[in-house]
Amino acid sequence: MSGESLISVKDLVVEYTSGEDVVHAVNGVSFELNAGETLGLVGETGAGKTTIAKSILGILPDPPAKIRGGEIFMDGKNMLKLSQKEMRKVRGNKIAMIFQDPMTALNPMFVVGDQIAEVIRLHEKISKAGAAKKSMELLEMVGIPGERGREYPHQFSGGMKQRVVIAMALACNPQVLLADEPTTALDVTIQAQVLEMMMRLRDQRGTSMLMITHDLGIVAEVCDKVAVIYAGEIVEMGTKEHIFDFTSHPYTEGLFGSLPNLNTKTKRLKPIPGMMPNPSSLPAGCKFHPRCPYATEACKTETVPLFETEPGHLVRCLRRDPRQVR
Amino acid sequence: MALLEVQNLKKYFKTPRGILHAVDDVTFSLEEGKTLGVVGESGCGKSTLGRTILHLLDSTGGKIFFKGEDITVVSRNKLGELREDMQIIFQDPFSSLNPRFSVSQTIREPLELRGRLSKAEMEEEVDRLMEVVGLAPRLRNSYPHELDGGRRQRIGIARALALKPKFIVCDEPVSALDVSIQAQILNLMLDLQEKNGLTYMFVTHDLSVVKYISDEIAVMYLGQMVEKCESDRLFERPIHPYTQALLSAIPIPDIHAQNKRILLKGEITSPINPKPGCRFAARCAYATEKCREPQELREWEPGHFVACCRAEEVSA
Repeated sequence: MSGESLISVKDLVVEYTSGEDVVHAVNGVSFELNAGETLGLVGETGAGKTTIAKSILGILPDPPAKIRGGEIFMDGKNMLKLSQKEMRKVRGNKIAMIFQDPMTALNPMFVVGDQIAEVIRLHEKISKAGAAKKSMELLEMVGIPGERGREYPHQFSGGMKQRVVIAMALACNPQVLLADEPTTALDVTIQAQVLEMMMRLRDQRGTSMLMITHDLGIVAEVCDKVAVIYAGEIVEMGTKEHIFDFTSHPYTEGLFGSLPNLNTKTKRLKPIPGMMPNPSSLPAGCKFHPRCPYATEACKTETVPLFETEPGHLVRCLRRDPRQVR
Repeated sequence: MALLEVQNLKKYFKTPRGILHAVDDVTFSLEEGKTLGVVGESGCGKSTLGRTILHLLDSTGGKIFFKGEDITVVSRNKLGELREDMQIIFQDPFSSLNPRFSVSQTIREPLELRGRLSKAEMEEEVDRLMEVVGLAPRLRNSYPHELDGGRRQRIGIARALALKPKFIVCDEPVSALDVSIQAQILNLMLDLQEKNGLTYMFVTHDLSVVKYISDEIAVMYLGQMVEKCESDRLFERPIHPYTQALLSAIPIPDIHAQNKRILLKGEITSPINPKPGCRFAARCAYATEKCREPQELREWEPGHFVACCRAEEVSA
């Protein structure tokens, strides 16, 4: 399924400034998204997942956010260097984003059909009637009767609103879809419907996808590759098999231990002790060391790089350092 | 005798478009020291059920026996007395705490309202409760906005425990938390139950959480209980078509899991002026003419209750 690299993010660093504090949201993240591939970005609140997606799309609010370093390449162009005008041609056309909350992603003042048509008319030379017809087709594609395009967002349920948002994101047939927790606000049976539909459309159109989620169940179902993010860094990255069957980073281990398992009877969960570090004063050394059961003195001071333990499986943990026997 | 016995409980709301049946004819009982998980999707009435049982909302019909007394008819004073034994932990640790109260003030408030302890005793009790729920003593004078979601939820738990209740309604207590913090809070709640013999009614939409914490699980759909049985059994042998679809919809964090998903058509219908028959029938693959008649929650096998006239065919 995978082809050449479509988007490549290199050493991305993003900071938010609020007053005196500098929040280190993303600290040197690099990854590649290949054509036709789905990469999962997994992590907890504040890990920097959404900031990464917004950086790619060039919609970080500046201020307070500032991209301090790194490059994001698409089609050989560094997107961080594009002008607003050039970026607008990419946004919604080549890259589209689905936001977590379908209630706030739609404009309550316009009927949904017009909102979809707007995207099409922005990027394609098409008549008003043509765009309207196309927006109806898009609604049908996501399982909503086309004539409901004349209704306002409040007349739809949460699951249907998210379908409208997906229809809008797919309107210009983007190469890359950034999905930021697209089903978190939905009930499980509706989530199942929406995920199934997203996967079907993705496969039909060969769209690449960046799936941001905190739900490892969704990752298991939709992703080819996974990057686990902690405190603005990728701590483990690899294929789905690497992450699920050869879990290597203590944080990833902790995430799995925190999940109640439906198939086995667990007496007690094994939570990760402590809290996420404050992103404006991150610990030195490995950022996970205060919560890590294996932490040694070295973990408190040394900057930990990503070690390739197997081809394609990267782990940011000193225990995986091939030069040291621990 | 069961600690809590709910009989034919109804809670209707009047809306401009008609009568909304939020809780419709729910009957169950809960033994002391046990946990009943109540699951269902948004709008199924699970939170309303919890609140009506605590009499935070007046019931429209039915009876609620708590320690043998029907709290729908007792006097205000008596209700106040019974309330000491019934507490609630809310979903949102942000809006359920008074932003102007420090941690110690929040935990002290129920003790003050009861007025049985001296000032010094109250302070001691606040310290003890903070320790029990794992809040560091240095946080005594902190305010909710200074704390993260996990700690805030610990305050909510300490406040609920202050009057040493027997029964706690937990209304989605971990839904707003990250998984690593969620696991900490769930373990804390299980520890507290073991130590104090607490009885929980655990309301949630998260099925993996409910399996982990519950002895028995009740599944709700549009205000009605459609299935209820022992927790492991529900996952091994779900009978009601809705339960089957619900369980199959959970994404499993295991790439080797073989999951035959039952995709439901359509969405939850309106609970306003519902028709008399099975409320799930419109989305059900097994629906027949008979499903238009009212469905009764019947004991299908010992301890396993199902409200489906086609249970035999479905389970075959």
